[in-house]
Amino acid sequence: MAQVLQCFGQMAVVLDNLYNQENYLISKKLLDATHLRHEALSNNLANVETPGFKRRDLPQSFSVELRRAVDRKDFRRVKGLLPRSAEDRQAKPVRMDGNTVQLDEELLAMNRNALNYEYLSNAVGGSIKELNKAIRGRV
Amino acid sequence: MSMNLIPGIESTGSALSAEKIRLEIIAQNIANSNTTQDASGNVYKRKEVAFEEFIKTPERRTPGYVDENLYQGVRVTDVYDDQTPGRMIFNPGHPHANEDGMVEMPNVDVSREMIDLISASRAYEANLTVVKTSRRMAQQAMSIGK
Repeated sequence: MAQVLQCFGQMAVVLDNLYNQENYLISKKLLDATHLRHEALSNNLANVETPGFKRRDLPQSFSVELRRAVDRKDFRRVKGLLPRSAEDRQAKPVRMDGNTVQLDEELLAMNRNALNYEYLSNAVGGSIKELNKAIRGRV
Repeated sequence: MSMNLIPGIESTGSALSAEKIRLEIIAQNIANSNTTQDASGNVYKRKEVAFEEFIKTPERRTPGYVDENLYQGVRVTDVYDDQTPGRMIFNPGHPHANEDGMVEMPNVDVSREMIDLISASRAYEANLTVVKTSRRMAQQAMSIGK
């Protein structure tokens, strides 16, 4: 019984290491960020006709900080980074009512973001698939 | 409060219903562009909708949740009458004419309503595109590891 328990403990450590792989961690974090960005962009599109609405987006600082943390191999920092949307202060109002949403740009950004999401979910799913393959021992 | 399975669906859903209300109001305006007397006996006044952004901030933040704001999109706060006076035309035989023989026409400008109609239906279409994108993203999320 004790042996079985010890075996389980070791397995947990192995799986933990797999889930803390660098690529897995980064793609998971980026997947969170794209999910959030999609929410922000769909909120922008929902408010395309709201007077005075200011568009919100994932700030540039998130990707800068993530890149810095990855360059320094600081994976604790990567784990701790939380994506947050913020008001886009660079966007200038193009209409009389002060609304800063531009329909075409917003849709373009959303499509690019959705493609990123597809790529990242494949990346995250890929590592889980590989793990599954290793456990089953067959393709 | 958990993360939505389909990202951004609440904002998009609220926008679809708000734009639909707007389309209905525009249709009502066009239909009544010659109505000189409404249910209360006055000349029909052009209706307009007021949109407002709607954000729900949770009372308590869930640890690990990625954003402090839960987007809810847009809502219609008011449907109000445009009070600009309508055109007066001379038509003494009209049952709604005043003692000088003038009839006040509704302040509906059909060409302006048509422009509003186009912009509202474009906004509606854009949000429908978002629904498709969100749906695809949710499907991809569910097929992770499959």
